[in-house]
Amino acid sequence: MKVINVKSLKKSFSGKKVLEDTSMAVSQGDIYGFLGPNGSGKTTTLRILLGILFPDGGKVDVLKMDPSVDGELLRQRINILPESHGFYGWMRAEEYLRFFGQLYGLQLTSADSNKHLEQVGLDPADRRPIRTFSRGMKQRLGIARSLLNDPEILFLDEPTNGLDPKGRRKIHDLLLKLNREREMTVVISTHILDDVERLCNRIAILHNSKIQYEGPLFTPQIEKSIRYQFHLADDKNISYTWNFPGFSCQEKKGQWVTCEIKDIHPDKALSLLVQKGIPITEAIQVNGGLESMYLKLTAQGKE
Amino acid sequence: MKHFKTLVEKECIEEIISPRGAALYLVGCGVLSVFSLLLVSNTELSLLDNAQAVYMMSSIIIAIALLIAVIRGSDGFAGERERETLETLLITPVSPAEVAIAKLMGLIFSWLVLFIISIPYLWAVGSTGQNLNSALQYLFISGTLLVVIFGGFTLAISARMRTFKGTMSIGLTAFLLSGSPILLGPSLRQSTVGRFIDLLNPFANALNMLDSVIVDSLGVLFQITPLVILISYTVAAMWILSMTTRRVEL
Repeated sequence: MKVINVKSLKKSFSGKKVLEDTSMAVSQGDIYGFLGPNGSGKTTTLRILLGILFPDGGKVDVLKMDPSVDGELLRQRINILPESHGFYGWMRAEEYLRFFGQLYGLQLTSADSNKHLEQVGLDPADRRPIRTFSRGMKQRLGIARSLLNDPEILFLDEPTNGLDPKGRRKIHDLLLKLNREREMTVVISTHILDDVERLCNRIAILHNSKIQYEGPLFTPQIEKSIRYQFHLADDKNISYTWNFPGFSCQEKKGQWVTCEIKDIHPDKALSLLVQKGIPITEAIQVNGGLESMYLKLTAQGKE
Repeated sequence: MKHFKTLVEKECIEEIISPRGAALYLVGCGVLSVFSLLLVSNTELSLLDNAQAVYMMSSIIIAIALLIAVIRGSDGFAGERERETLETLLITPVSPAEVAIAKLMGLIFSWLVLFIISIPYLWAVGSTGQNLNSALQYLFISGTLLVVIFGGFTLAISARMRTFKGTMSIGLTAFLLSGSPILLGPSLRQSTVGRFIDLLNPFANALNMLDSVIVDSLGVLFQITPLVILISYTVAAMWILSMTTRRVEL
Protein backbone atom coordinates (compact mmCIF):
# COMPACT_ATOMS: atom_id res chain seq x y z
CA MET A 1 0.00 0.00 0.00
CA LYS A 2 1.35 3.42 -0.99
CA VAL A 3 1.50 5.75 1.98
CA ILE A 4 3.15 8.63 0.12
CA ASN A 5 2.33 9.48 -3.46
CA VAL A 6 3.79 12.57 -5.07
CA LYS A 7 3.10 13.48 -8.68
CA SER A 8 4.60 16.36 -10.69
CA LEU A 9 5.38 18.44 -7.60
CA LYS A 10 6.44 22.02 -8.27
CA LYS A 11 7.83 24.63 -5.90
CA SER A 12 9.68 27.89 -6.52
CA PHE A 13 11.15 30.46 -4.15
CA SER A 14 11.32 34.02 -5.54
CA GLY A 15 11.14 32.70 -9.09
CA LYS A 16 13.87 30.11 -8.54
CA LYS A 17 12.61 26.62 -9.28
CA VAL A 18 13.47 24.24 -6.48
CA LEU A 19 11.18 21.37 -7.43
CA GLU A 20 9.99 20.72 -10.95
CA ASP A 21 7.95 17.72 -11.96
CA THR A 22 9.09 15.74 -8.92
CA SER A 23 7.34 12.39 -8.46
CA MET A 24 7.90 9.66 -5.88
CA ALA A 25 6.02 6.89 -4.11
CA VAL A 26 6.69 5.26 -0.75
CA SER A 27 5.02 2.03 0.35
CA GLN A 28 4.03 1.12 3.88
CA GLY A 29 6.96 -0.41 5.77
CA ASP A 30 9.61 1.05 3.47
CA ILE A 31 12.77 2.59 4.77
CA TYR A 32 13.16 5.13 2.03
CA GLY A 33 16.40 6.98 1.42
CA PHE A 34 15.99 10.46 0.02
CA LEU A 35 19.31 11.61 -1.42
CA GLY A 36 20.56 14.67 -3.19
CA PRO A 37 23.19 17.41 -3.03
CA ASN A 38 22.81 20.46 -0.77
CA GLY A 39 20.03 22.72 -1.98
CA SER A 40 18.50 20.08 -4.22
CA GLY A 41 15.09 20.44 -2.54
CA LYS A 42 15.02 17.49 -0.12
CA THR A 43 14.01 19.57 2.91
CA THR A 44 11.50 21.50 0.79
CA THR A 45 9.92 18.21 -0.29
CA LEU A 46 9.73 16.95 3.31
CA ARG A 47 8.15 20.22 4.46
CA ILE A 48 5.54 19.97 1.69
CA LEU A 49 4.79 16.36 2.72
CA LEU A 50 4.20 17.60 6.27
CA GLY A 51 1.92 20.44 5.16
CA ILE A 52 4.09 23.23 6.57
CA LEU A 53 5.06 24.45 3.11
CA PHE A 54 2.63 24.74 0.23
CA PRO A 55 3.40 23.53 -3.30
CA ASP A 56 2.94 25.62 -6.44
CA GLY A 57 1.63 22.64 -8.38
CA GLY A 58 1.35 18.88 -8.53
CA LYS A 59 -0.44 16.33 -6.38
CA VAL A 60 0.65 15.25 -2.92
CA ASP A 61 -0.99 12.39 -1.06
CA VAL A 62 0.21 11.27 2.36
CA LEU A 63 -1.82 8.58 4.16
CA LYS A 64 -4.61 9.39 1.68
CA MET A 65 -4.66 13.03 2.82
CA ASP A 66 -3.61 16.25 1.14
CA PRO A 67 -1.09 17.88 3.51
CA SER A 68 -2.02 21.40 2.33
CA VAL A 69 -5.63 20.81 3.34
CA ASP A 70 -5.54 18.29 6.20
CA GLY A 71 -2.15 19.25 7.62
CA GLU A 72 -3.18 19.25 11.29
CA LEU A 73 -4.97 15.89 11.05
CA LEU A 74 -2.07 14.41 9.13
CA ARG A 75 0.59 15.65 11.55
CA GLN A 76 -1.19 13.77 14.34
CA ARG A 77 -0.22 10.55 12.53
CA ILE A 78 3.24 11.40 11.23
CA ASN A 79 6.34 13.07 12.63
CA ILE A 80 9.69 14.46 11.58
CA LEU A 81 13.13 15.06 12.95
CA PRO A 82 13.99 18.31 11.20
CA GLU A 83 17.53 19.17 10.19
CA SER A 84 17.41 22.41 12.17
CA HIS A 85 18.29 22.21 15.86
CA GLY A 86 15.64 24.42 17.36
CA PHE A 87 15.10 23.62 21.01
CA TYR A 88 13.63 25.63 23.84
CA GLY A 89 16.91 25.96 25.71
CA TRP A 90 15.30 26.84 29.03
CA MET A 91 13.36 23.55 29.18
CA ARG A 92 14.72 20.31 30.60
CA ALA A 93 14.58 17.18 28.44
CA GLU A 94 11.63 15.74 30.37
CA GLU A 95 9.71 19.04 30.22
CA TYR A 96 10.43 19.26 26.50
CA LEU A 97 8.97 15.81 25.84
CA ARG A 98 5.97 16.51 28.09
CA PHE A 99 5.28 19.80 26.27
CA PHE A 100 5.36 18.19 22.82
CA GLY A 101 3.46 15.17 24.14
CA GLN A 102 0.63 17.50 25.16
CA LEU A 103 0.56 18.98 21.66
CA TYR A 104 -0.10 15.42 20.42
CA GLY A 105 -2.80 14.99 23.07
CA LEU A 106 -0.61 12.76 25.27
CA GLN A 107 -0.27 13.20 29.02
CA LEU A 108 3.20 11.79 29.58
CA THR A 109 4.12 10.60 33.05
CA SER A 110 7.70 10.77 34.32
CA ALA A 111 8.01 7.06 33.57
CA ASP A 112 6.88 7.62 29.97
CA SER A 113 9.38 10.45 29.46
CA ASN A 114 12.17 8.37 30.99
CA LYS A 115 11.34 5.49 28.66
CA HIS A 116 11.53 7.79 25.64
CA LEU A 117 14.83 9.28 26.81
CA GLU A 118 16.38 5.89 27.55
CA GLN A 119 15.27 4.63 24.14
CA VAL A 120 17.61 7.11 22.45
CA GLY A 121 20.42 6.74 24.97
CA LEU A 122 19.82 9.87 27.08
CA ASP A 123 20.06 9.80 30.85
CA PRO A 124 16.64 10.57 32.39
CA ALA A 125 18.38 11.72 35.58
CA ASP A 126 20.06 14.56 33.65
CA ARG A 127 18.19 17.64 34.91
CA ARG A 128 20.23 20.24 33.03
CA PRO A 129 18.47 22.70 30.70
CA ILE A 130 18.63 21.72 27.02
CA ARG A 131 20.83 24.73 26.16
CA THR A 132 23.72 22.95 27.94
CA PHE A 133 23.33 19.78 25.83
CA SER A 134 25.88 18.81 23.18
CA ARG A 135 24.82 18.62 19.53
CA GLY A 136 24.64 14.84 19.70
CA MET A 137 22.47 14.93 22.83
CA LYS A 138 20.12 17.42 21.16
CA GLN A 139 19.92 15.14 18.14
CA ARG A 140 18.94 12.21 20.37
CA LEU A 141 16.34 14.34 22.13
CA GLY A 142 14.98 15.38 18.75
CA ILE A 143 14.64 11.72 17.77
CA ALA A 144 12.85 10.98 21.07
CA ARG A 145 10.44 13.88 20.32
CA SER A 146 9.80 12.60 16.81
CA LEU A 147 8.76 9.20 18.18
CA LEU A 148 6.36 10.58 20.82
CA ASN A 149 3.16 10.07 18.84
CA ASP A 150 4.17 6.63 17.54
CA PRO A 151 4.03 7.92 13.95
CA GLU A 152 2.89 5.83 11.01
CA ILE A 153 5.44 7.67 8.88
CA LEU A 154 8.63 9.05 10.35
CA PHE A 155 10.61 11.60 8.35
CA LEU A 156 14.22 12.10 9.33
CA ASP A 157 16.28 14.96 7.95
CA GLU A 158 19.97 14.13 8.45
CA PRO A 159 19.25 11.96 11.53
CA THR A 160 22.79 10.91 12.37
CA ASN A 161 24.34 14.39 12.12
CA GLY A 162 26.50 15.04 15.16
CA LEU A 163 26.25 11.51 16.52
CA ASP A 164 29.30 9.45 17.47
CA PRO A 165 29.63 5.96 15.88
CA LYS A 166 28.06 4.31 18.94
CA GLY A 167 25.15 6.76 18.87
CA ARG A 168 24.73 6.24 15.13
CA ARG A 169 24.57 2.48 15.57
CA LYS A 170 22.01 2.86 18.38
CA ILE A 171 19.79 5.03 16.18
CA HIS A 172 20.17 2.59 13.25
CA ASP A 173 19.13 -0.30 15.49
CA LEU A 174 16.19 1.68 16.87
CA LEU A 175 14.92 2.59 13.40
CA LEU A 176 15.26 -0.98 12.15
CA LYS A 177 13.43 -2.24 15.25
CA LEU A 178 10.59 0.28 14.81
CA ASN A 179 10.33 -0.60 11.15
CA ARG A 180 10.31 -4.33 11.87
CA GLU A 181 8.05 -4.40 14.93
CA ARG A 182 5.58 -1.61 14.18
CA GLU A 183 5.89 -1.58 10.40
CA MET A 184 6.73 2.11 10.68
CA THR A 185 7.50 3.73 7.33
CA VAL A 186 10.71 5.74 7.54
CA VAL A 187 11.85 8.40 5.07
CA ILE A 188 15.46 9.42 5.57
CA SER A 189 16.97 12.46 3.92
CA THR A 190 20.72 12.23 4.30
CA HIS A 191 24.14 12.70 2.75
CA ILE A 192 25.61 9.78 4.65
CA LEU A 193 25.43 6.98 2.10
CA ASP A 194 26.54 4.44 4.67
CA ASP A 195 23.31 5.15 6.62
CA VAL A 196 21.29 4.58 3.45
CA GLU A 197 23.08 1.34 2.58
CA ARG A 198 22.64 0.07 6.12
CA LEU A 199 18.97 1.02 6.53
CA CYS A 200 17.09 1.63 3.29
CA ASN A 201 15.34 -0.73 0.94
CA ARG A 202 14.33 1.97 -1.56
CA ILE A 203 15.94 5.24 -2.55
CA ALA A 204 15.31 8.38 -4.57
CA ILE A 205 18.04 10.70 -5.81
CA LEU A 206 16.96 14.32 -6.29
CA HIS A 207 19.04 16.61 -8.45
CA ASN A 208 18.41 19.58 -10.72
CA SER A 209 14.88 19.89 -9.24
CA LYS A 210 13.95 16.40 -10.48
CA ILE A 211 14.08 12.83 -9.25
CA GLN A 212 16.98 11.25 -11.16
CA TYR A 213 16.48 7.75 -9.81
CA GLU A 214 13.79 6.09 -7.77
CA GLY A 215 13.70 2.43 -6.96
CA PRO A 216 15.14 -0.38 -4.88
CA LEU A 217 18.55 0.21 -3.32
CA PHE A 218 20.08 -2.86 -4.96
CA THR A 219 19.08 -2.98 -8.57
CA PRO A 220 21.18 -4.10 -11.53
CA GLN A 221 21.87 -0.40 -12.14
CA ILE A 222 23.75 -0.24 -8.86
CA GLU A 223 25.00 -3.78 -8.55
CA LYS A 224 26.71 -3.91 -11.93
CA SER A 225 29.36 -1.56 -10.73
CA ILE A 226 30.12 -2.98 -7.27
CA ARG A 227 33.67 -4.17 -6.88
CA TYR A 228 34.98 -5.75 -3.71
CA GLN A 229 38.42 -6.74 -2.52
CA PHE A 230 38.51 -9.75 -0.22
CA HIS A 231 41.46 -10.44 2.02
CA LEU A 232 42.13 -14.14 2.48
CA ALA A 233 43.70 -15.69 5.55
CA ASP A 234 46.02 -17.84 3.48
CA ASP A 235 46.88 -17.43 -0.25
CA LYS A 236 48.55 -20.76 -0.94
CA ASN A 237 45.85 -23.34 -1.43
CA ILE A 238 42.78 -21.28 -2.17
CA SER A 239 41.48 -20.86 -5.66
CA TYR A 240 40.05 -17.43 -6.36
CA THR A 241 38.06 -18.47 -9.41
CA TRP A 242 34.94 -18.85 -7.36
CA ASN A 243 32.18 -20.29 -9.37
CA PHE A 244 29.21 -18.86 -7.51
CA PRO A 245 26.29 -17.12 -9.11
CA GLY A 246 26.77 -13.39 -8.91
CA PHE A 247 30.57 -13.47 -8.62
CA SER A 248 33.14 -12.54 -11.17
CA CYS A 249 36.65 -12.52 -9.74
CA GLN A 250 39.21 -10.75 -11.85
CA GLU A 251 42.57 -10.79 -10.16
CA LYS A 252 44.54 -11.92 -7.16
CA LYS A 253 47.40 -9.97 -5.70
CA GLY A 254 48.99 -11.58 -2.68
CA GLN A 255 46.19 -12.33 -0.27
CA TRP A 256 43.76 -9.86 -1.93
CA VAL A 257 41.20 -11.04 -4.47
CA THR A 258 39.20 -8.49 -6.47
CA CYS A 259 35.68 -9.52 -7.47
CA GLU A 260 32.65 -7.97 -9.12
CA ILE A 261 29.40 -8.79 -7.45
CA LYS A 262 26.24 -8.91 -9.52
CA ASP A 263 22.57 -9.40 -8.81
CA ILE A 264 22.95 -10.16 -5.11
CA HIS A 265 23.27 -8.01 -2.04
CA PRO A 266 26.94 -7.65 -0.97
CA ASP A 267 26.10 -8.83 2.57
CA LYS A 268 24.57 -11.99 1.09
CA ALA A 269 27.62 -12.50 -1.14
CA LEU A 270 29.91 -12.26 1.84
CA SER A 271 27.93 -14.74 3.90
CA LEU A 272 27.93 -17.11 0.89
CA LEU A 273 31.73 -17.04 0.78
CA VAL A 274 31.95 -17.67 4.51
CA GLN A 275 29.49 -20.57 4.18
CA LYS A 276 31.70 -22.09 1.48
CA GLY A 277 34.58 -22.08 3.93
CA ILE A 278 36.65 -19.40 2.23
CA PRO A 279 38.73 -17.80 4.98
CA ILE A 280 37.94 -14.12 4.45
CA THR A 281 39.39 -11.78 7.03
CA GLU A 282 38.39 -8.47 5.44
CA ALA A 283 36.12 -7.15 2.69
CA ILE A 284 36.53 -3.68 1.16
CA GLN A 285 34.26 -2.07 -1.38
CA VAL A 286 36.62 -0.71 -4.02
CA ASN A 287 34.24 1.24 -6.20
CA GLY A 288 30.76 1.20 -7.54
CA GLY A 289 27.63 0.80 -5.50
CA LEU A 290 25.47 3.61 -4.29
CA GLU A 291 28.29 6.13 -4.06
CA SER A 292 29.32 5.80 -7.68
CA MET A 293 25.71 5.89 -8.83
CA TYR A 294 25.02 8.96 -6.68
CA LEU A 295 28.10 10.78 -7.99
CA LYS A 296 27.22 9.88 -11.56
CA LEU A 297 23.61 11.05 -11.28
CA THR A 298 24.47 14.29 -9.50
CA ALA A 299 27.52 15.16 -11.61
CA GLN A 300 25.74 17.28 -14.19
CA GLY A 301 24.05 20.63 -13.78
CA LYS A 302 23.91 22.85 -10.76
CA GLU A 303 25.45 21.89 -7.45
CA MET B 1 -8.08 25.10 20.17
CA LYS B 2 -7.31 21.88 22.09
CA HIS B 3 -3.63 22.80 22.40
CA PHE B 4 -4.40 26.30 23.57
CA LYS B 5 -3.70 25.75 27.30
CA THR B 6 -0.37 24.02 26.63
CA LEU B 7 0.79 26.76 24.26
CA VAL B 8 -0.33 29.61 26.53
CA GLU B 9 1.44 28.01 29.51
CA LYS B 10 4.65 27.75 27.49
CA GLU B 11 4.40 31.37 26.33
CA CYS B 12 3.74 32.66 29.86
CA ILE B 13 6.61 30.66 31.38
CA GLU B 14 8.89 31.84 28.58
CA GLU B 15 7.89 35.46 29.29
CA ILE B 16 9.20 35.12 32.84
CA ILE B 17 12.01 32.57 32.59
CA SER B 18 13.71 33.50 29.32
CA PRO B 19 16.63 35.95 29.71
CA ARG B 20 14.97 38.28 27.18
CA GLY B 21 11.68 38.45 29.12
CA ALA B 22 13.33 38.87 32.51
CA ALA B 23 15.66 41.60 31.16
CA LEU B 24 12.68 43.60 29.86
CA TYR B 25 10.97 43.49 33.27
CA LEU B 26 14.18 44.58 34.98
CA VAL B 27 14.57 47.52 32.60
CA GLY B 28 10.89 48.40 33.17
CA CYS B 29 11.37 48.32 36.95
CA GLY B 30 14.48 50.46 36.64
CA VAL B 31 12.68 53.12 34.57
CA LEU B 32 9.67 53.15 36.93
CA SER B 33 11.95 53.44 39.98
CA VAL B 34 13.83 56.41 38.50
CA PHE B 35 10.63 58.25 37.54
CA SER B 36 8.81 57.63 40.82
CA LEU B 37 11.90 58.72 42.75
CA LEU B 38 12.06 61.91 40.68
CA LEU B 39 8.36 62.58 41.20
CA VAL B 40 8.62 62.36 44.98
CA SER B 41 12.09 63.83 45.52
CA ASN B 42 12.81 66.32 42.74
CA THR B 43 12.07 69.86 43.93
CA GLU B 44 10.10 70.92 40.85
CA LEU B 45 8.40 67.61 40.08
CA SER B 46 7.33 67.08 43.68
CA LEU B 47 5.33 70.30 43.39
CA LEU B 48 3.14 68.71 40.73
CA ASP B 49 -0.47 68.09 41.57
CA ASN B 50 -0.97 64.53 42.88
CA ALA B 51 -3.25 63.64 39.96
CA GLN B 52 -0.70 65.01 37.47
CA ALA B 53 1.98 62.78 38.99
CA VAL B 54 -0.27 59.69 38.73
CA TYR B 55 -1.10 60.59 35.10
CA MET B 56 2.59 60.97 34.28
CA MET B 57 3.43 57.61 35.85
CA SER B 58 0.48 55.94 34.05
CA SER B 59 1.70 57.31 30.70
CA ILE B 60 5.19 55.95 31.37
CA ILE B 61 3.77 52.54 32.36
CA ILE B 62 1.76 52.41 29.12
CA ALA B 63 4.81 53.40 27.07
CA ILE B 64 6.90 50.64 28.71
CA ALA B 65 4.09 48.10 28.19
CA LEU B 66 3.86 48.98 24.50
CA LEU B 67 7.61 48.81 24.07
CA ILE B 68 7.64 45.33 25.63
CA ALA B 69 4.63 44.29 23.48
CA VAL B 70 6.37 45.48 20.30
CA ILE B 71 9.68 43.76 21.15
CA ARG B 72 8.07 40.50 22.31
CA GLY B 73 5.53 40.58 19.46
CA SER B 74 8.35 40.98 16.91
CA ASP B 75 10.04 37.99 18.49
CA GLY B 76 6.81 35.96 18.29
CA PHE B 77 7.16 34.24 14.92
CA ALA B 78 10.29 35.86 13.43
CA GLY B 79 12.41 35.21 16.54
CA GLU B 80 11.26 31.58 16.73
CA ARG B 81 11.96 31.27 13.02
CA GLU B 82 15.51 32.57 13.56
CA ARG B 83 16.09 30.27 16.55
CA GLU B 84 14.70 27.39 14.42
CA THR B 85 12.08 26.52 17.04
CA LEU B 86 9.13 27.52 14.85
CA GLU B 87 9.59 24.44 12.67
CA THR B 88 9.39 22.05 15.66
CA LEU B 89 6.18 23.81 16.72
CA LEU B 90 4.55 23.78 13.29
CA ILE B 91 5.33 20.11 12.64
CA THR B 92 2.94 19.20 15.47
CA PRO B 93 -0.84 19.10 14.93
CA VAL B 94 -1.05 22.77 15.92
CA SER B 95 -2.41 25.46 13.61
CA PRO B 96 -0.45 28.71 13.17
CA ALA B 97 -3.55 30.60 14.36
CA GLU B 98 -3.44 28.72 17.68
CA VAL B 99 0.23 29.62 18.05
CA ALA B 100 -0.56 33.27 17.28
CA ILE B 101 -3.38 33.49 19.84
CA ALA B 102 -1.20 31.80 22.47
CA LYS B 103 1.56 34.30 21.76
CA LEU B 104 -0.90 37.16 22.08
CA MET B 105 -2.00 35.71 25.44
CA GLY B 106 1.67 35.64 26.43
CA LEU B 107 1.90 39.37 25.64
CA ILE B 108 -1.22 40.07 27.71
CA PHE B 109 0.26 38.02 30.57
CA SER B 110 3.44 40.07 30.26
CA TRP B 111 1.36 43.25 30.54
CA LEU B 112 -0.45 41.88 33.62
CA VAL B 113 2.90 41.23 35.31
CA LEU B 114 4.03 44.78 34.48
CA PHE B 115 0.70 46.16 35.72
CA ILE B 116 1.08 44.35 39.05
CA ILE B 117 4.70 45.53 39.33
CA SER B 118 3.59 49.13 38.64
CA ILE B 119 0.91 49.29 41.38
CA PRO B 120 3.37 50.07 44.23
CA TYR B 121 4.99 52.79 42.09
CA LEU B 122 1.60 54.41 41.40
CA TRP B 123 0.73 54.12 45.07
CA ALA B 124 4.05 55.76 46.00
CA VAL B 125 3.37 58.83 43.87
CA GLY B 126 -0.41 59.04 44.22
CA SER B 127 -1.56 57.44 47.47
CA THR B 128 -2.66 60.78 48.90
CA GLY B 129 -4.75 61.69 45.84
CA GLN B 130 -8.39 60.85 45.15
CA ASN B 131 -8.28 59.26 41.67
CA LEU B 132 -5.83 56.41 42.25
CA ASN B 133 -8.50 53.67 41.99
CA SER B 134 -9.93 55.13 38.76
CA ALA B 135 -6.39 55.51 37.44
CA LEU B 136 -5.70 51.83 38.09
CA GLN B 137 -8.97 50.73 36.45
CA TYR B 138 -8.50 52.81 33.31
CA LEU B 139 -4.79 52.03 33.12
CA PHE B 140 -5.68 48.34 33.14
CA ILE B 141 -8.37 48.70 30.45
CA SER B 142 -6.45 51.00 28.12
CA GLY B 143 -3.16 49.13 28.66
CA THR B 144 -4.75 45.76 27.82
CA LEU B 145 -6.38 47.12 24.65
CA LEU B 146 -3.18 48.85 23.52
CA VAL B 147 -1.09 45.72 24.15
CA VAL B 148 -3.52 43.69 22.00
CA ILE B 149 -3.42 46.37 19.27
CA PHE B 150 0.35 46.83 19.11
CA GLY B 151 1.19 43.24 20.06
CA GLY B 152 -1.27 41.82 17.53
CA PHE B 153 0.02 44.13 14.80
CA THR B 154 3.69 43.21 15.38
CA LEU B 155 2.82 39.50 15.68
CA ALA B 156 1.09 39.73 12.30
CA ILE B 157 4.19 41.32 10.73
CA SER B 158 6.36 38.78 12.51
CA ALA B 159 4.39 35.91 10.93
CA ARG B 160 5.26 37.21 7.47
CA MET B 161 8.80 38.51 7.94
CA ARG B 162 11.99 36.47 8.11
CA THR B 163 13.93 38.41 10.73
CA PHE B 164 13.31 39.66 14.26
CA LYS B 165 15.26 42.87 13.57
CA GLY B 166 13.21 43.68 10.47
CA THR B 167 9.93 43.09 12.31
CA MET B 168 11.06 45.12 15.31
CA SER B 169 12.10 48.04 13.08
CA ILE B 170 8.58 48.21 11.62
CA GLY B 171 6.94 47.75 15.04
CA LEU B 172 9.05 50.43 16.71
CA THR B 173 8.48 52.83 13.80
CA ALA B 174 4.71 52.36 14.17
CA PHE B 175 5.04 52.87 17.93
CA LEU B 176 7.09 56.06 17.53
CA LEU B 177 4.75 57.41 14.85
CA SER B 178 1.76 56.86 17.11
CA GLY B 179 3.60 58.54 19.97
CA SER B 180 4.94 61.49 17.99
CA PRO B 181 1.73 63.64 17.84
CA ILE B 182 1.91 63.83 21.63
CA LEU B 183 5.09 65.82 21.17
CA LEU B 184 3.17 68.50 19.26
CA GLY B 185 2.59 71.66 21.28
CA PRO B 186 -0.74 72.10 23.15
CA SER B 187 -1.99 74.73 20.65
CA LEU B 188 -1.29 72.46 17.68
CA ARG B 189 -3.00 69.54 19.39
CA GLN B 190 -6.06 71.70 20.01
CA SER B 191 -6.31 72.60 16.30
CA THR B 192 -8.65 70.68 13.97
CA VAL B 193 -5.79 68.75 12.42
CA GLY B 194 -4.34 67.97 15.84
CA ARG B 195 -7.69 66.76 17.16
CA PHE B 196 -8.18 64.61 14.05
CA ILE B 197 -4.74 63.00 14.44
CA ASP B 198 -5.43 62.40 18.14
CA LEU B 199 -8.77 60.82 17.29
CA LEU B 200 -7.16 58.37 14.85
CA ASN B 201 -4.26 57.55 17.10
CA PRO B 202 -4.91 54.70 19.60
CA PHE B 203 -2.00 55.71 21.83
CA ALA B 204 -3.21 59.33 22.04
CA ASN B 205 -6.77 58.14 22.70
CA ALA B 206 -5.58 56.06 25.65
CA LEU B 207 -3.54 58.94 27.10
CA ASN B 208 -6.40 61.42 26.61
CA MET B 209 -8.73 59.00 28.37
CA LEU B 210 -6.32 58.66 31.32
CA ASP B 211 -5.94 62.45 31.41
CA SER B 212 -9.68 63.04 31.55
CA VAL B 213 -10.17 60.37 34.25
CA ILE B 214 -7.18 61.13 36.46
CA VAL B 215 -6.63 64.88 36.05
CA ASP B 216 -10.09 66.15 35.04
CA SER B 217 -12.03 63.55 37.10
CA LEU B 218 -14.56 63.05 34.28
CA GLY B 219 -16.97 60.12 34.40
CA VAL B 220 -17.44 57.04 32.24
CA LEU B 221 -19.72 58.79 29.71
CA PHE B 222 -16.82 60.95 28.58
CA GLN B 223 -14.71 57.87 27.94
CA ILE B 224 -17.06 56.17 25.47
CA THR B 225 -15.54 57.70 22.31
CA PRO B 226 -11.90 56.82 23.10
CA LEU B 227 -12.99 53.38 24.30
CA VAL B 228 -14.91 52.70 21.07
CA ILE B 229 -11.89 53.80 19.03
CA LEU B 230 -9.56 51.58 21.06
CA ILE B 231 -11.93 48.60 20.75
CA SER B 232 -12.21 49.17 16.98
CA TYR B 233 -8.43 49.07 16.67
CA THR B 234 -8.36 45.94 18.83
CA VAL B 235 -10.85 44.19 16.52
CA ALA B 236 -8.84 45.32 13.48
CA ALA B 237 -5.58 44.03 15.00
CA MET B 238 -7.18 40.65 15.76
CA TRP B 239 -8.56 40.44 12.22
CA ILE B 240 -5.17 41.27 10.67
CA LEU B 241 -3.51 38.69 12.94
CA SER B 242 -6.01 35.97 12.00
CA MET B 243 -5.58 36.72 8.27
CA THR B 244 -1.78 36.68 8.34
CA THR B 245 -1.55 33.50 10.41
CA ARG B 246 -3.93 31.39 8.34
CA ARG B 247 -0.86 30.04 6.60
CA VAL B 248 2.56 30.50 8.12
CA GLU B 249 5.46 29.19 6.08
CA LEU B 250 8.95 28.66 7.35
